[in-house]
Amino acid sequence: GAAPPERNRYLVHFAQAHEDFRLAELRSLAKLENVDLVMEEHRYDRDRPFLTVQLASDADAIKLVRRSILVKAIYALWEESRSYEALLDQIRRKPERNAPYMTCSFKFVVETFNNSRALDYKVAIINRFAFMAFTGPIDLKSPDVTLGVLEDYDYKSDVPRYLYFGIQLGFGNRPAIDKFSLKKRTYLGTTSMDPQLSLIMGNLGLVRPGTLVYDPFVGTGSFLVTMAHFGAVTIGSDIDGRQIRGTGKGNARRGAKPGSASVWSNVEQYGLQDRVVDCLVYDMAHHPLRAGELFDAIITDPPYGVRAGAKKIGADLKRAEWVKRPDGSIAPAAAAATTEPHAAEQAPRQLVSAKHPHGRYPQTVPYDLDAVMADLTDFAGRYLRVGGRIAYWLPTVKAEYADEDIPTHPALTLVANCEQPFGQWSRRLVTLEKTRTWVEGMHSSGSGQLSAKLERAGPGA
Amino acid sequence: MVRLLTHNMLQCHVKNCTNGFPLRFQDPVIEQHEQEINKEFLVNMLPRIDWNALRTTVDQLGLPELPAAVPENPAEDEAFLAALHRALMEVNIQSGSMVCPECEHVYPIRDGIPNMLLSEDEV
Repeated sequence: GAAPPERNRYLVHFAQAHEDFRLAELRSLAKLENVDLVMEEHRYDRDRPFLTVQLASDADAIKLVRRSILVKAIYALWEESRSYEALLDQIRRKPERNAPYMTCSFKFVVETFNNSRALDYKVAIINRFAFMAFTGPIDLKSPDVTLGVLEDYDYKSDVPRYLYFGIQLGFGNRPAIDKFSLKKRTYLGTTSMDPQLSLIMGNLGLVRPGTLVYDPFVGTGSFLVTMAHFGAVTIGSDIDGRQIRGTGKGNARRGAKPGSASVWSNVEQYGLQDRVVDCLVYDMAHHPLRAGELFDAIITDPPYGVRAGAKKIGADLKRAEWVKRPDGSIAPAAAAATTEPHAAEQAPRQLVSAKHPHGRYPQTVPYDLDAVMADLTDFAGRYLRVGGRIAYWLPTVKAEYADEDIPTHPALTLVANCEQPFGQWSRRLVTLEKTRTWVEGMHSSGSGQLSAKLERAGPGA
Repeated sequence: MVRLLTHNMLQCHVKNCTNGFPLRFQDPVIEQHEQEINKEFLVNMLPRIDWNALRTTVDQLGLPELPAAVPENPAEDEAFLAALHRALMEVNIQSGSMVCPECEHVYPIRDGIPNMLLSEDEV
């Protein structure tokens, strides 16, 4: 057979957040950036923020992480060891590797996990590398090369259990989290998505320039803005037109004028008018899109419960039992109602038609969670292009969840299932890729147990 | 701000209406917003655009005519891409309505947001 491709080893340094999403994000980025990635998964411990990987080049390493929300930095891995004596000895044995860096400007950084070390300790560590005898100037602001020492401690230990040493090559895109901070957003709703998770969804969904992204439960338009940030053109829809138009309650902290805040306020705030093209009012269960592989990605947070508007057009209006809080956690409707009034959200939507020229309100019925998920999966199976992805959130009760609860579809393949826990509840970010052309007769299938499990767990769970 | 990109994907969805595409604009208030051309996006979208529907709509709105057929090498055809960009992305329908060519169902547009909701007896 052919010889395996030449690869170098690199160290990925993750942020301490959303551990279950790390490898899925990295795998998606490798695909998105067309980078040949081998993860040394057998050495990875999800409780620690370090992952060793093999890549063809430094350039690939930089590309791999530049969009990452969960990666802090990536290093060309020179040496790793259980002790400083061994580590320093390994470095001493390969002096030729230092040659390119002998006279350029440089700095050292010491990163620690599970033990926040003071500056004097870090300086003492850096001094142990003095034997490398770099003669260039130290430049703490923009050095030509940054050498990194990464220490991994066991909890409450003062002796590192493992050490890494290498050259810092590139960084993830954690500053984007701050850019899209909800505190800075002009228009907010009860279901606005945490920007960190929203951006991770863009990576899992392979959202990039030139693509068309759709959110069928658009709410206040969080995803339209973050996906447009990745260069995509975005379209959203929602059964609740008042969420799109705005309730008039802007983010006062941002100086929004009463009545001025809407999805479009956020779009203008980020200067994304060219890419967030439309928001439409309709019901996912009865949508007006013509047949075709129209979208490259579907990025969405489906509704469930009263607050988020889990309703569809139909006769009779009943209340659903569960609501989703702004942070994404799930609570009984009664409990949530005591903390935040939601009467305004139950006001019906206005409908004007030839039949009712003066306007009337269509009746709605609760939209059962299993039906929402089945419809959404069927929609993705039909409307994504082959190679396109859907990333959506699924609420679950931890003790009751089974993989079979996630609806499957003959045209879609599961690529990631990442859990964000909330005590006894959790929500799962499910990512599916369309791997076959849709043909008549293809339908989603699932356990149909999602609603029953949430209800069975009950408010006392 | 209904763009023709979006309009090109919408059809009438009243129960038993089978020929409701493309929707016809009625009393449209048209705005043109210049924006930067996104060639990568246009080339990516082109196979998904219903060309005849787009030409019909452009004609109904009294906008500059589009070529009868998509050129063989659209990615290399600057003039074509510029015309496509103007039609798909720069035309914004601010208000008016979209009417089904078959069943005459009216979908109103207010503040640039189309209301495609049906009543419970129409779904």
